[in-house]
Amino acid sequence: MTARPVRRLAEQDNLRLLKGRRLRRPTLAPWMLMVLIGVVAFLGLGFARTSLDRSAFDLAELSKAISEETATNRQMNLEIARLVNPARISPLAEELGLVIPDTTKQLLVDLTPEIPVVAGAEGEGNNQ
Amino acid sequence: MAAPKAARRLQPSKVRVAVIGLAVVAAWMGMGYRLFQIQVVQAADLAEQGLNQRLVSRDLAPQRGKIFDRNGELLAMTVQAQSIYAVPSQVEEPLWVAQQIGGPLGADTDVLYQRLISDREFVYIKRQVEDVVADEVLGLEIRGVYSHPEPTRIYPAGAVASHVTGFVNIDGDGQEGLELVYDEELRGTPGKAEFERDLQGRVIPQGYSRIVPAIPGVDLNTTIDLPLQYQAQQACVLALEQTGAISCWVVVLAVETGEVLAMVGAPIFDPQTRQTQDPSCEQAEDPVACRAFSNFIVRGIYEPGSTQKLITVAAALEEGEVSIGTVFPEVPDELELRDDACRFADDELYGCYRDFENHATEDMSVAQIFTRSSNIGTIKIAETLGQDRLIQYIEAFGLGSKTGIDYTAEAPGILNFEAGCATCWASAAIGYSVAVTPLQMAAAYAAIGNDGIWTTPHIVSSKTDVDGETQVAGMQTRRVVSSGTALLMRELLALVVEKGTGAAAAIDGYRVGGKTGTANKLGDDGRYTETTRASFVGMAPINDPKVVVAVLIDAPSFDYRTGGLSAAPVFAAVMKQALHRLGVTPDGHQR
Repeated sequence: MTARPVRRLAEQDNLRLLKGRRLRRPTLAPWMLMVLIGVVAFLGLGFARTSLDRSAFDLAELSKAISEETATNRQMNLEIARLVNPARISPLAEELGLVIPDTTKQLLVDLTPEIPVVAGAEGEGNNQ
Repeated sequence: MAAPKAARRLQPSKVRVAVIGLAVVAAWMGMGYRLFQIQVVQAADLAEQGLNQRLVSRDLAPQRGKIFDRNGELLAMTVQAQSIYAVPSQVEEPLWVAQQIGGPLGADTDVLYQRLISDREFVYIKRQVEDVVADEVLGLEIRGVYSHPEPTRIYPAGAVASHVTGFVNIDGDGQEGLELVYDEELRGTPGKAEFERDLQGRVIPQGYSRIVPAIPGVDLNTTIDLPLQYQAQQACVLALEQTGAISCWVVVLAVETGEVLAMVGAPIFDPQTRQTQDPSCEQAEDPVACRAFSNFIVRGIYEPGSTQKLITVAAALEEGEVSIGTVFPEVPDELELRDDACRFADDELYGCYRDFENHATEDMSVAQIFTRSSNIGTIKIAETLGQDRLIQYIEAFGLGSKTGIDYTAEAPGILNFEAGCATCWASAAIGYSVAVTPLQMAAAYAAIGNDGIWTTPHIVSSKTDVDGETQVAGMQTRRVVSSGTALLMRELLALVVEKGTGAAAAIDGYRVGGKTGTANKLGDDGRYTETTRASFVGMAPINDPKVVVAVLIDAPSFDYRTGGLSAAPVFAAVMKQALHRLGVTPDGHQR
């Protein structure tokens, strides 16, 4: 549907045509777009700000967790050091009958004899 | 005309409006001026004041460095503990509170009560307790009793390495041992944190913050072998029980590198509690008199006795004055270097010299003199050298000066060759008139084991900081005798163990060499007493020495008064463990 031209309408209906500024329908679209952009930017800024705050809180939590884990790790290392302390192990070993023998036996290995060939040893894979 | 006048006269309502308008304008101008003052003129100052109200500054304490043994086992580290404190004005029933918290803390109730009724605003109840204990105390929910975290130094090896690590005080400052020597490096550099906080004390996210992180202290990697340290300490404790001695000291050196593999003493002390574990010391009025905290190996000086003969004989061999087979005719068991010096049976030194055991006058070779530890024979060997050359070699072997070990307050020892002393050279030749530390003697023997090259003993091999590991430099070496002389001396040392006074030092599977030493202690009257310091210094395997062990036992009972009886068995026990720990292949020698 199209509108009739104003001049033709005046001729047909004996209407008087008044000269003046041509009326235009106000264009709202750019304003609405700007407002929309502004709102989006405002919301985006707010979102970014809260995200940053949330990230900061997360980082603080992570830092705290790292500190706690580090402290735990230190305590574990300390516990290991206490457990492997010879002053702790030695009495326990003695209680279990594990004592250093008074006598020492020496095993003298003679390397000069020929190496005996074991029957069936060939081709049985690569033992490492 | 009245009408226009009346028309020109302002109506009252307009006047009021004008006045109000002016007032509003003035008010706005005032506000504007004030805003300008605040927002522009004083903006910076006010912003700073506001920031200061929100800003909190905290010092970031650096983590004190750890101390490790040569295998990476922890010897010392710092962890967080809790310090319990009270605000006495808030404590309602001090006696009841003292009774409640005294048990978990293991503290005296009366002492706690006195603290809780004091006028001070803040009193420590107990510092640096474990979290479990702190939780138990805080679980009582007593008003006025609180805790705050505080770092504390822990020594997981307990007393085993106490003479090496030393200890720190309650505030974490090094007081003794490596903790003191490397205190500045161990403590690190403090950092600083500045941040904004809200009314509840919470950190404001996105607020101003500035953090200068603390730089942790360096970690020390020592040359100590913890299992060997323990074995040596056990051998010392056992020796104290058997011999009834005052103290026992053992140092183990790696021959080629000068690394201190073990350095122990007994009575032992706990670096955590800084209390000796010897009951007799604890019962003493002055526990410090036990000297358990002071490392005698580095700081204590004693007359070495016969172990000194190694230097005398080595010097004579090096100078070509004697050989091993050189025979000294008619060596008696008593010698007077001053007229009537031996008039009385108890006269010792100051010109009168006697062998430990009486024997007939006989011809003795250098080897016999050394293996039988003849004082008179050794003086005759020294006579061939003369005082100047003897002193020269004594100094070359490191006696009379600090070894340079990285330990606090090392004693240089004493060389007593005062002018006019006609017999000092003879006394020095047999280990009197000189005072040495056990470490100096161990280093001198290590020089013989290292083909005549003396090396600075050291405890810390490397340091690890944020930039990585760095080796500790500064070890010095110098040749004191030729490798040939060192070889001959090692053979003589082996003969001492095989045929001489050091039989108890023998070990199955390894040929061992060493020298006994027995020196009488000076009494309060300046005369020598029957009480002795027994020592043994030796090395193994003698054909290619890897380890030197020096043992000193102070004031053993009469039955154990000689180095051969009391110190040599300790040497054998420690040397056996040292060779096993280092994985030294046995040479098949049977004792």
